[in-house]
Amino acid sequence: MKSFKFLVIALLCVITSCTIDKTDYEAEIGSQVPEYYEFKEAVSFTSGLYKISIEALNGTFYKGYNELHLKITNTQTNQNVSASEVTFLPIMSNTDGSKTSCPHGYNLQYDMANKYFAGYSVFTNESATTNSWKLYVSFSADNQKYEVTKDISVEKQSNKNLNMTSFTGKDDEQYVIALVSPQKPTVSENKLVAGIYKYNKPANAGGIFPDPSQFSYSEVIGYTLKLDPRMPEPSMGNHSSPNNQDLTQQNDGLYHGVVNYTMTGNWTLNLIMMNQNGLIIKGTVVPTDFTPGVEGVKSELYIDTLF
Amino acid sequence: MLLFLGMSVTAQNVHVHHDSIKNLEEVQVKNAAKKKIETEMKMAVSVDEFLSSSDNISFIKRGAYAWEPLLNNMSSERSTVTIDGMHVFGACTDKMDPITSYVESNNLSTIDIKSGQEGSLHGATVAGSIDLKRKSTPFGLAKKWNGVYQSGFEFNNKQFFNLGNVAYSGEKFVAEGSISYRKADDYYDGNNDEVKHSQYKKFNTSLGFAYKTTDLSSVRLDAIFDMAKDVGYPALPMDLSLSRALITSASYKQLFEEGLIKVVDTKIYFNAIEHYMDDTTRPENLVHMDMPGWSTTYGLVSKANAKKGSYSSEIQLNAYDNLSIAEMRMYPQDRSKRTMFAYSWPWVTTRYAGLSMNNSWDLSEKSQVNLGGSLGVNYNYSKYVEFNWIFHPGAPQGKTRFLPSLHAGYNLDIDHFNFSVGTGYGHRAPSVSEGYGYYIYNSFDRYDYIGNPNLKNEISYEGNASAGFKNERLSIQGKINYFYIENYIIGRILSMGSPMNYQSVGVKGYTSLDYATLLNMSMNASYDILPHLHWKGILTYARGMDDKGGNLPFIRPLSYQTSLHFMHKNFGIQTSVNGDFEQINYSPEYGEDLTSAYTIWNISADYSFKINKVKTVVQVGAENLLNEYYSTYADWGNIPRMGRNVFTSLKFNF
Repeated sequence: MKSFKFLVIALLCVITSCTIDKTDYEAEIGSQVPEYYEFKEAVSFTSGLYKISIEALNGTFYKGYNELHLKITNTQTNQNVSASEVTFLPIMSNTDGSKTSCPHGYNLQYDMANKYFAGYSVFTNESATTNSWKLYVSFSADNQKYEVTKDISVEKQSNKNLNMTSFTGKDDEQYVIALVSPQKPTVSENKLVAGIYKYNKPANAGGIFPDPSQFSYSEVIGYTLKLDPRMPEPSMGNHSSPNNQDLTQQNDGLYHGVVNYTMTGNWTLNLIMMNQNGLIIKGTVVPTDFTPGVEGVKSELYIDTLF
Repeated sequence: MLLFLGMSVTAQNVHVHHDSIKNLEEVQVKNAAKKKIETEMKMAVSVDEFLSSSDNISFIKRGAYAWEPLLNNMSSERSTVTIDGMHVFGACTDKMDPITSYVESNNLSTIDIKSGQEGSLHGATVAGSIDLKRKSTPFGLAKKWNGVYQSGFEFNNKQFFNLGNVAYSGEKFVAEGSISYRKADDYYDGNNDEVKHSQYKKFNTSLGFAYKTTDLSSVRLDAIFDMAKDVGYPALPMDLSLSRALITSASYKQLFEEGLIKVVDTKIYFNAIEHYMDDTTRPENLVHMDMPGWSTTYGLVSKANAKKGSYSSEIQLNAYDNLSIAEMRMYPQDRSKRTMFAYSWPWVTTRYAGLSMNNSWDLSEKSQVNLGGSLGVNYNYSKYVEFNWIFHPGAPQGKTRFLPSLHAGYNLDIDHFNFSVGTGYGHRAPSVSEGYGYYIYNSFDRYDYIGNPNLKNEISYEGNASAGFKNERLSIQGKINYFYIENYIIGRILSMGSPMNYQSVGVKGYTSLDYATLLNMSMNASYDILPHLHWKGILTYARGMDDKGGNLPFIRPLSYQTSLHFMHKNFGIQTSVNGDFEQINYSPEYGEDLTSAYTIWNISADYSFKINKVKTVVQVGAENLLNEYYSTYADWGNIPRMGRNVFTSLKFNF
């Protein structure tokens, strides 16, 4: 009897100690995808009595879409100031002397509930030796206008699920598409949110720098992004997923759709951008053939993701 | 025809059993008297070979190992396969580890097959039940120690096996153990070509201890440990690197001398199965892929037998909790890149509890009525239900189903004739794969299969009848059964989705047909030509159709087995011929093609003698003597079966 017990215990040990560990699915996804949901101060500067603080996720400006919260406080009273006419303009200077901007919200709206000015910026480049970013912020308080500038650093976005792409459409306009969410997709139905922005070509020559009319971007209205997600790996043979939904614009100005990821790994979101009239601005239809051993053909408009 | 055996421990046996319940010794002696696991052709058979000698079992074969048993031409999710009433679930999404692969012939005493709803005693079923009965040594045998050692060699695939059993039988205490090891290389087909990736190694051991607590009660502990390594599946793009099973149980049996209830046997059990598939042995594969699977089950089975006058009854309570997990991980060609991962079983829990009952009344000496039924509750829960939502958005994470079942039968014996008719009705819940499977690659039709959590219960209506005649020399019996199955679950091509496994051609989703019908017929006959010369024959036919009149897959064509057996003193010789006719009613929709007819001739001879009181049997024989090149309707990828196989074996009874 005793020996039997020992044997059972020994066998239990053998069996419970699996030779291959079960995958920890949560950790599996987490290992590849940093995920930030906390807004922290990314930069701050003072002008007169006022301190301006700009908060971004993880306290860092990343290449791609950044939601921004701007707070203005009176340094003497430590009170939030309900300033007005708050403007925000990011400008990148290249060593060759050219100055460009990126999609951004220029006039910031005050969010009464959360007590900050809400804005965004889609940085199109990381800070490098050849290019540097500077923020130009202005606001009015106590009937006085303040203007401040600040150098900032834009970091690499290591989460490929927040990738972006910029391109020139068939209408000869410059566009930027940036993924906004999900930060951390799962093997499931994922709500996909992206922003589509267009550079507003200036009608007149520029005034005194920084003239916002030279650096104007706007959210594109009423377009459609047709979506065809595929796994580009040759071994996946152009694998796709069912039940995806094209992205259309919602009240928040962003484009919402559904992407189904059937397994973890590299995915390509193949896109076709159509304007209000259904004309294709950019993008091509990808073959639907199952082609094992061949790297999947991508649309001329695509964004890669990985999780 | 490798035939017969103790395959039909049917209602009648149970009655004998009841009548004899006086005390433990007697009951267990009866058990011990059941037929052994061996066929007439071959005394050292694998569990699969043994099962295949039954007329209502056929097999899907993916190689030389772990054949999937089909009962009444229905796939294994339609039947309940149990070991002594314990539910065990395979851990392979591709059904490469049927439960029968986790036992060995030397730890089983018999296999109890019941067709249709008569098998609902062990839980909800459509096709019936297959219960693998473990060996159980009675208390207080005259001979305290018993041992069997068996060894053999099969030349075709160089299979070498050693099977050993030892049992101690005391007045109060019984201990028994078995150990076995089989190792086989690739086999050769009828053209003498090697069938690559058909090798296997299997180790199996079991232990059992019983202690008689009082004159009328006993406790028993059992464990089986099975390990298979390096098992090739020629019909599949990957092989098994390791599978392990631990199957344990503890039971308590109480007999009653008076009253309606005669015996109550209650058992708790636990089993854990690991099954690791990978393709590291297949360098030609485009993608390297791992597919590990785990299945863990806890359960309770309690059975009571009652008898009063001409009435007898069996009542069984079944409850279990199973967790099935299967993963797939694909490796990109550039190994520095991220691997791709998904669950093919996203942590699916199945809980079942059900009460079953079989009653029988002897109306007279000649006639008997059977009436039974069961009611079960089946609950499924998918932990990572988001996988299922990709194809079935909004499907519930948990689902409860009620599974009722009823059956009735009537038996009549008139002189040398025997007649029976029966009918049944029963539900079954979809299996884990059918309900929650995710991109499960089926290399038969080369589709990836997707489960559907919203599938309805499959509902079976069946009718069966048999007629037989038996006298001293001739016995002949015809059997027929017919199933009308509502919401028949089968894979249908999905217009959406694209394959994930690079060998597949598309995606199929499990869907319900409005109905499907299945007809099985068999004819058995035996005749004693001379006192020492016996003939047996079997003819079976089946036909399965879907609701559009199309053919169902894996339906056995007209098939036959016939054998002659000659015995004289210590010498025996037997020869058999078996084969299938051409599979005319094949189903291209489900990946089948026309399979030609084949005929196989087998022969063997054995001789028994004694060496110092040790009873010894030596046997030599050959299967597929004419070295026919063939594959059957159920061989995946039309993988050819084994060519001529000369086998030898030697058995010592201590």
